[in-house]
Amino acid sequence: MDRTQMEAGLAEFTADQLEQVDEIIGRYKSKPGALIPVLEKVQDVCGYLPMALQYRVAKGLNLPVANVYGVVTFYSFFTMVPRGKHVVRVCLGTACYVRGGQRILDELVHNLGIQPGECTEDRNFSLETVRCLGACGLAPVVVIDEDTHGQMKPAKLAGVLAQYR
Amino acid sequence: MAKLSINDLKKIKDKVEKEDQFRAGNKRVKLTVHMGTCGIASGAKSILDTFMNEISEANVNDVLITTSGCIGICSREPLATVEEQGKEPIVYEFLTENKARQIFKQHVLGGKIQTEFVLARGREQEGGK
Amino acid sequence: MKVFRSHILVCGGTGCRASGSEGVHQAVVREITAKGLSDEVAIVETGCNGFCAAGPIMVIYPEGTFYQYVKADDVKEIIEEHIIKGRPVQRLMYKEPDKEVPIPHMLDIPFFGKQMLIALKNRGLIDAEKIDEYIARDGYMGAAKALTELTPDEVIEEIKKSGLRGRGGGGFPTGLKWSFARKSQGDVKYILCNADEGDPGAFMDRSILEADPHAVLEGMIIGGYSIGASKGYIYCRAEYPLAIKRLMLAIEQAKDYGLLGDDILGSGYSLDIEVYQGAGAFVCGEETALMGSIEGKRGMPRPRPPFPAVKGLWEKPSVLNNVETYANIPQIVLKGGSWYSSIGTERSKGTKVFALTGAVNNVGLVEVPMGTPIGDIIFDIGGGIRNGKGYKAAQLGGPSGGCIPASALNTPTDYEEIVKLGAIMGSGGLIVMDEDTCMVDTARFFMEFCQEESCGKCTPCREGTKRMLQILQRICKGEGRDGDIELLEELATIIKDSALCGLGQTAPNPVLSTIRYFRDEYEAHIYDKKCPAAVCSALFKSPCQHACPIEMDVPAYIALIRAGRLEDAYRVMKKTNPFPGICGRVCPQFCASKCRRGQLDEPMAIAWLKRYIADNGKKPAIEPVPVTRKEKVAIIGAGPAGLTAAQDLAKRGYKVTVFEELPYAGGMMRYAIPEYRLPRDVIAEEVKDIEALGVEIRTSCRVGKDISFDALRKDYDIVVLAVGAHNSWKLGVEGEDLKGVWGATEFLREVNLGRDVKIGAQVAIVGGGNSAIDAARTAVRLGAKDVTILYRRERKDMPAWEHEIVAAEHEGVKIEYLVAPVKLVGKDGKLSGVVCQRMRLGEFDRSGRRKPAPIEGSEYTLSAETIIPAISQSADTTFIPEGSDIKKDKWGGIEITNRSKNKTTAESVFIIGDAATGPATVVEAIAMGHRVAADVDASIRVKNNEPAYKEPAEEKIDIPFEVDEEVVETPRAAMPELAVTDRAGNFQEVELGYTREIAFKEACRCLRCDAEI
Repeated sequence: MDRTQMEAGLAEFTADQLEQVDEIIGRYKSKPGALIPVLEKVQDVCGYLPMALQYRVAKGLNLPVANVYGVVTFYSFFTMVPRGKHVVRVCLGTACYVRGGQRILDELVHNLGIQPGECTEDRNFSLETVRCLGACGLAPVVVIDEDTHGQMKPAKLAGVLAQYR
Repeated sequence: MAKLSINDLKKIKDKVEKEDQFRAGNKRVKLTVHMGTCGIASGAKSILDTFMNEISEANVNDVLITTSGCIGICSREPLATVEEQGKEPIVYEFLTENKARQIFKQHVLGGKIQTEFVLARGREQEGGK
Repeated sequence: MKVFRSHILVCGGTGCRASGSEGVHQAVVREITAKGLSDEVAIVETGCNGFCAAGPIMVIYPEGTFYQYVKADDVKEIIEEHIIKGRPVQRLMYKEPDKEVPIPHMLDIPFFGKQMLIALKNRGLIDAEKIDEYIARDGYMGAAKALTELTPDEVIEEIKKSGLRGRGGGGFPTGLKWSFARKSQGDVKYILCNADEGDPGAFMDRSILEADPHAVLEGMIIGGYSIGASKGYIYCRAEYPLAIKRLMLAIEQAKDYGLLGDDILGSGYSLDIEVYQGAGAFVCGEETALMGSIEGKRGMPRPRPPFPAVKGLWEKPSVLNNVETYANIPQIVLKGGSWYSSIGTERSKGTKVFALTGAVNNVGLVEVPMGTPIGDIIFDIGGGIRNGKGYKAAQLGGPSGGCIPASALNTPTDYEEIVKLGAIMGSGGLIVMDEDTCMVDTARFFMEFCQEESCGKCTPCREGTKRMLQILQRICKGEGRDGDIELLEELATIIKDSALCGLGQTAPNPVLSTIRYFRDEYEAHIYDKKCPAAVCSALFKSPCQHACPIEMDVPAYIALIRAGRLEDAYRVMKKTNPFPGICGRVCPQFCASKCRRGQLDEPMAIAWLKRYIADNGKKPAIEPVPVTRKEKVAIIGAGPAGLTAAQDLAKRGYKVTVFEELPYAGGMMRYAIPEYRLPRDVIAEEVKDIEALGVEIRTSCRVGKDISFDALRKDYDIVVLAVGAHNSWKLGVEGEDLKGVWGATEFLREVNLGRDVKIGAQVAIVGGGNSAIDAARTAVRLGAKDVTILYRRERKDMPAWEHEIVAAEHEGVKIEYLVAPVKLVGKDGKLSGVVCQRMRLGEFDRSGRRKPAPIEGSEYTLSAETIIPAISQSADTTFIPEGSDIKKDKWGGIEITNRSKNKTTAESVFIIGDAATGPATVVEAIAMGHRVAADVDASIRVKNNEPAYKEPAEEKIDIPFEVDEEVVETPRAAMPELAVTDRAGNFQEVELGYTREIAFKEACRCLRCDAEI
């Protein structure tokens, strides 16, 4: 990735966001094992981790970009595609699965018209699946942003989604 | 804060026991909302808010409200415990805002246990006693 | 001042407002004005009444009538009835409860009473965000004792003595692990806490961190002190934000108090603890992978040795334990290792926390002493299976664990005992699965999980799990092949032996354990292309059709009811079912148990709709089928199995003769099921359709008496045994030769033969199945005064159908549970009483039900002149001569030689129905009849070198698709019934059948899950 590509890749982020990114890198620079916390915080600020940001992190922490890419693609928490305004996460942990989590996902795929890992065209929703949120008592569970919706039924989904539309 | 020694630890223990307003008798009722992830997801936050509003509306200062973690029976969340001075704690289950209002008015203020919403009374068994 | 005759008080408190009291208030104003009552009735908005949960509240004075749950729509009725006509509206009035219900103590509730709290001792009692509350409950006293009174070696000794083993899954002795790290040389050592809880279905660590974070810190301080660590990390998954928040707060508070940091409690020992947020990778639960992750790398395991106790994080000696393990430590130090080891089993000490989830009534966290049987956790603490469904299995240990079948519910929670079952204790995720769970799909689910979470470092795990997943996916899609099960087993063994880390080595466990206990389900998918739980949707159109043994096209005939096309609906049913009118009355409805509507409110009333069509639809005329084949088939027994086989074979052009001992065809349908459930003309009509095809039914002709079995075999090419199971089992107690002792089958047969059956005024029935209920309700109709059913288990265990049990109770039948007859007593050779013994439920039997065990000394005598054991039946096979080539099995039944369970040891003799399977249902008998007809035909064609039979093309029936826009919760439509008072002394049909209106309404409830959207 050359300089112009990198700049183009960062164009969607505001100066303020990039400043925060650099500040995070600076804060962790000297700490061993800093990469993962830095990536977590950068993703917090920017929403996702496109290649251009990974270059910036690698350069800042003085690491080979391959290492950064390796870590980003290894952990499910990191994403290289942008997320929607609202992130809909369907739990497919065992407890949710045995209580019908798959049917909830099917209905969401149908309702939103996207597959897990994708974002709606209007960038309002992205759909993800997760492995157990530890709220098994409420299975099946759908988490939208910070809100946990327990004991979901396919028929209830439209009403829940409407609150975020 | 200065560092603690063992004696300080024991002092804190005694102090908390003594100063716990509820145990010391300054408060008439202790109201605990159980707020683990499960509880919060089932609406424990709004139950807490409801109790707080009720306390301020009733303008009483003898009710201690506090939160704690999950009591383990997720399928009956949200849960709250009402403990009147000198009486067994009463655990309420499947709370809604309106049930919370009724419990506050009838039980916390009026001393009448709302049996239809009760899960159980008393405390659990600790190991090895 | 104005005087009003009435005051309407509408509550305007916050609660009632939230429930819509403003709307009610407005409606009252509107209605009163409209009725011109404004001068007579005052409307008042009041403050809160304090019955907020029953709001909106309305009180009407002067009567003081208290109305609750009032909706704006109710106002009109209240004004019209109460205010104008002076009649209070009963349905909205508050009712005093009949009696004061005592509030149970926590310890009286099995969920809490059977638990013992050590790791969870502070749950629900303290505010996790206040360190003082923790200290007030002996918090940090364990650390204080360790740091100031004990040497590190003494602490380790105490932990060793306690027998505590790692609660994260491995079960490695904690004290031993610590002693290794203590002995390791290193300038820096690390104490680590695994809070990555990746096992889906386990949430005890989250709960402990949220409810009692200081307990974990204290455990780490003690551990750190004993190994000599100066730095600690808690690796917590990012999915637990509340846990992370409370942990960080706890660390801050502990630091403020000097309980963390330098020179803790003046002991000279220093420790810092930091929270490290995981980024979502299951493999990071593995210790070396977790350490790699803290180092900022991809979390991949590395080979051991060197063990972390020697070279761990940053190559320094490290100890990693999980949250629950640490939460136990302070208690052990405080109360002593021998206190802890006094709880539990020989090799598993203390308590274990289980996250109990899935299909149980009580979902939650459960801490029990080690050794508690798994069945106790599920059925006592968990309160049994939800929605009255049957238990199938519980998955213990997550994706690395295995399943616990019904036959293993007595297994104690003990590391070694659980491993023997093919599962592991793991972190304690216990996910209960009911009969609606497909075990092949479950194995596929876990394999997919492991495949996705495989880090890719070693080939067996990376490639092996992928291959296993592909095979499982294929099986679930109905593309399984012979040999797949063996291939899965082989791959599993290779992966177990050669994968690098725990994740890989244990990944095949769920597959191996489901194959071990549920091989028949794999076989059903592979060979029959059937998913018995109706989960693998690639195998079927709709779950109801798939669950039906004869795959009736349920959604189609229901849609045709909705469209008013009953004749077509009848034809759809007749395609697969020769007895729709009968099944509409007596079918156990395997379909309904899988009905998707049941997940919303109640399953469809499928049988009753079927009956509606059969009773009301126009029936097409039946044309005889010409005999086109030279082979002749004899069928012995004119029950549902035999008659179905006869029908199918006749349609294929065979000459079929059915031999029936009794005067009428129908078998158990005619001679066991009482007439009040199944009128005789319904049977006769459906039997007539089969005769109309050209089938000859020779009634009153017993093979072995009226015609010899050998002669039959000479005259016919093929003989099908469909003789049913008409011999009741005996109780096996003293006194069974007394007069007044009837077998249920024999009793019902005599009654249904129209004979004059004499029974006493007091009748006892033994058993809990449908025949017991049939016998009891028949006895009532014959005039018995007291009819008592004796059942040795509890009501929920009764195999009889719920609505039959309820009907029997309505008719005055008494049911005594947990009781069994031990002796029959009599006078002058006649029965006078039954000596009964009370039972209690003990351990679980192989079926997963608790086994009744007698209570000594609890005997009592029930006086009875008649006793009818209805415990089971077996086939009468005496017509088969000695030395026949049809071999018998060791129980005296006929030996069956194939998977479809319809071949005997003689090539030309087949067997079906109850005689083959033991007592079963009409619909299962029909299925066997269809199957045997196909098998008989195929065997003949193979012998003749003929091509296989081809079904003639059927006329296509167009099925409309119409569903409601919006699904509103509506219960199943009730069945109109004959009044109880009209039932005595006669055998009139009790269930009267749906009317057109009811049937239409019920048909509209169908969600049409058969439709492709």
